[in-house]
Amino acid sequence: MISNKKECVVMLLAGGQGSRLGSLTSKIAKPSVPFGGKYRIIDFTLSNCVNSNLDTVGVLTQYQPLILNSYIGDGKPWDLDRLNGGINILPPYQKVDDSKWYTGTANAIYQNIDFIEEHDPEYVLILSGDHIYKMDYSLMINYHKEKGADCTISVINVPIKEASRFGILSSDSEGRIVDFEEKPSRPKSTNASMGIYVFNWSKLKKYLEIDDKNNKSSKDFGKDVIPLMLNSGEKIYSYEFKGYWKDVGTIDSLWQANMDLLSDGGFELSGDWVIYSRHMEKPPHFIGRTASVKNSIVSEGAEILGTVENSIIFSGVKVNENAIIKDSVIMADVIIDENTVVNYSIIDEFCEIGKNLKVGTPKEKNADITVIPRESKLLNL
Amino acid sequence: MNALGIIFSDMQDWNLTELASHRSVAAIPFGGRYRLVDFTLSNMVNSGLNKMCIITKSNYRSLMEHVGSGKDWDLSRKKGGILIFPPYALGENHGLFQGRLDALKRVLHYISSSKEKYVILSDCDMIYNIDYKDVINYHVEKKADITAVYTKTNVDRENSIHKILYKTSDDGRANDILVYPITEGEHNVGLNTWVMNKDFLEMLIYDAIAHNYKDFSYDVLAAKVHTLKIFCYEYNGYYAHIDSLKSYYDNSMELLCKDKLNSLFYAKTGSIYTKTKDSPPTKYGNAADVKTSLIASGCIIEGTVENSIIFRGVKVGKNSVAKNSILMQHTTIGENAKLDSIITDTYATIKDDRILLGYSNCPFFIKRYSNI
Repeated sequence: MISNKKECVVMLLAGGQGSRLGSLTSKIAKPSVPFGGKYRIIDFTLSNCVNSNLDTVGVLTQYQPLILNSYIGDGKPWDLDRLNGGINILPPYQKVDDSKWYTGTANAIYQNIDFIEEHDPEYVLILSGDHIYKMDYSLMINYHKEKGADCTISVINVPIKEASRFGILSSDSEGRIVDFEEKPSRPKSTNASMGIYVFNWSKLKKYLEIDDKNNKSSKDFGKDVIPLMLNSGEKIYSYEFKGYWKDVGTIDSLWQANMDLLSDGGFELSGDWVIYSRHMEKPPHFIGRTASVKNSIVSEGAEILGTVENSIIFSGVKVNENAIIKDSVIMADVIIDENTVVNYSIIDEFCEIGKNLKVGTPKEKNADITVIPRESKLLNL
Repeated sequence: MNALGIIFSDMQDWNLTELASHRSVAAIPFGGRYRLVDFTLSNMVNSGLNKMCIITKSNYRSLMEHVGSGKDWDLSRKKGGILIFPPYALGENHGLFQGRLDALKRVLHYISSSKEKYVILSDCDMIYNIDYKDVINYHVEKKADITAVYTKTNVDRENSIHKILYKTSDDGRANDILVYPITEGEHNVGLNTWVMNKDFLEMLIYDAIAHNYKDFSYDVLAAKVHTLKIFCYEYNGYYAHIDSLKSYYDNSMELLCKDKLNSLFYAKTGSIYTKTKDSPPTKYGNAADVKTSLIASGCIIEGTVENSIIFRGVKVGKNSVAKNSILMQHTTIGENAKLDSIITDTYATIKDDRILLGYSNCPFFIKRYSNI
């Protein structure tokens, strides 16, 4: 038999609805939400994998997968079209008995035990497709090996007031985790789980099977599997990540992460750690005679004839004469017509905003971010 | 489509000493993120061709690097796909070819073993958007031996010597073909693109071997205009001929006119494909002031840019001004520098406070890896 053996298989959870992103995820899964002028959120985890020399990735899909499926395709843009390994899209599938949807993060992995076994790995890296960051997973796997851990959880220090949104860990001086609470109302530390886990596959398989038999379990890593392993005395270590990391699960955090690309101390897209994406075949962008572009990011194929400030302009966007865009994220192929003013908004792909309109409330007024759903047509009647 | 594409990377490189000093004409950067070969390749792919080759002459490294497996043009195929033919060093047919017919003779096996019925020959120094299906339909309808593509345009005594002009009768058949003449006025200017039946091309090559013909333009087109049925297909869309540094500059600057830009990049024939570089989108600083410019991805603009073409990965520092200029990939401009009518080749560095001036009819060229 030809050996498909891989030291580490990556399982990327990309099936969640991301309901807190509202209309942005009504037609597409959260990992395929556009970000940063030319990317989709999943590009960051996929690029991290490739840059960390991990070439076998299972992408678990369930909610609205069509755009995600065609975006990922054969994985070529991320160099994941491989003879052995590469990218595999893993939706739930029919089995002889007990066919069901993925009922939780752990269940999604449980249902794909066969896929993982095919590669006979020592380690499995569990990721979620909804974070913006650059991380070398190979360093975390090395740490996991050094510690002789059964499971290693990547943690980041978060402000105490945000801590109750995350899984919070407490560890001893050696880094071994002694306590784990999912979204605690009174957090004991500020070490938040990033939802990135390295497991010894044999251990994970064992606990997935135990957890699956527990009818009371919600089949979730944070809520069920990690506490179960901890209570059984398995060696779980925390791995501290220092760097930019943003959960973009809400409209506010998605907007903020986009704006972080513009600020000096924010998040830098360029550099040796390349973020790959499936490319739109568009010419360079055109800045017209009447345009003004400041503190912004502009992508290919855009045509700017108006004013753009503190904004992210995706590919193929048209901003016509005397239109003003401020503090906004304008996604691909949106048209903003003459004399229209857009403030503090996220405009989803393929929208058409007519002339002489006002979209959004200036950021200074502390109103909410305005979101215009995909393919909307706003016309001044 | 039932046609084989044969692309010549360097048929006429004598006029492009600066731009083609270290690369083939096909690899000359154009339009912010493309290389000249992209336009020919994209035309062929958009017309439905899936088998083609590029015949190169010398300095073809950057071309090979650019084309790679051909996947960016959808040409990484089991059936068909793209092949690059560099010259051989030894044996029969070694050394550089001495004309188009000589070049074709060297790839005769490739041509003979191809199953396609038609052949499209094209150079890389002409930029246009054409659907070759229309040309082939015309070729079949006219029962032509050779169909030449031309556009009606004005020439002057300086640039006519780089062009082939076709004089035709009313039915479109050529009755006189002027190769590199000195003339002026409106003419049917050839796009150095020809369609033939593959069998006919093979016959031409055998004939060339027998008579030691090397040059397609003189020995076939001009010499046999009355014996062969050479028909001319008129094209009237975007057209640029890169035959000198000045025409490179002028044609680049014309892209800043929106109509020209749209007719090249948003034509109904399809997109122009190129090698993807995965550069992030371009970032504009707080003091950026950019007007009437074409700007590729991966740039960081903190100064002023006007009437310019900025390629991928260019940096323009604070208080620097670039006007009427073309800055190729990875040009870095420091702070307080001033550039007017400058073409920088790739990886040039212009340090702080430098002032560089060309003139609109005489742009100043800065070699790649220069450090000013």
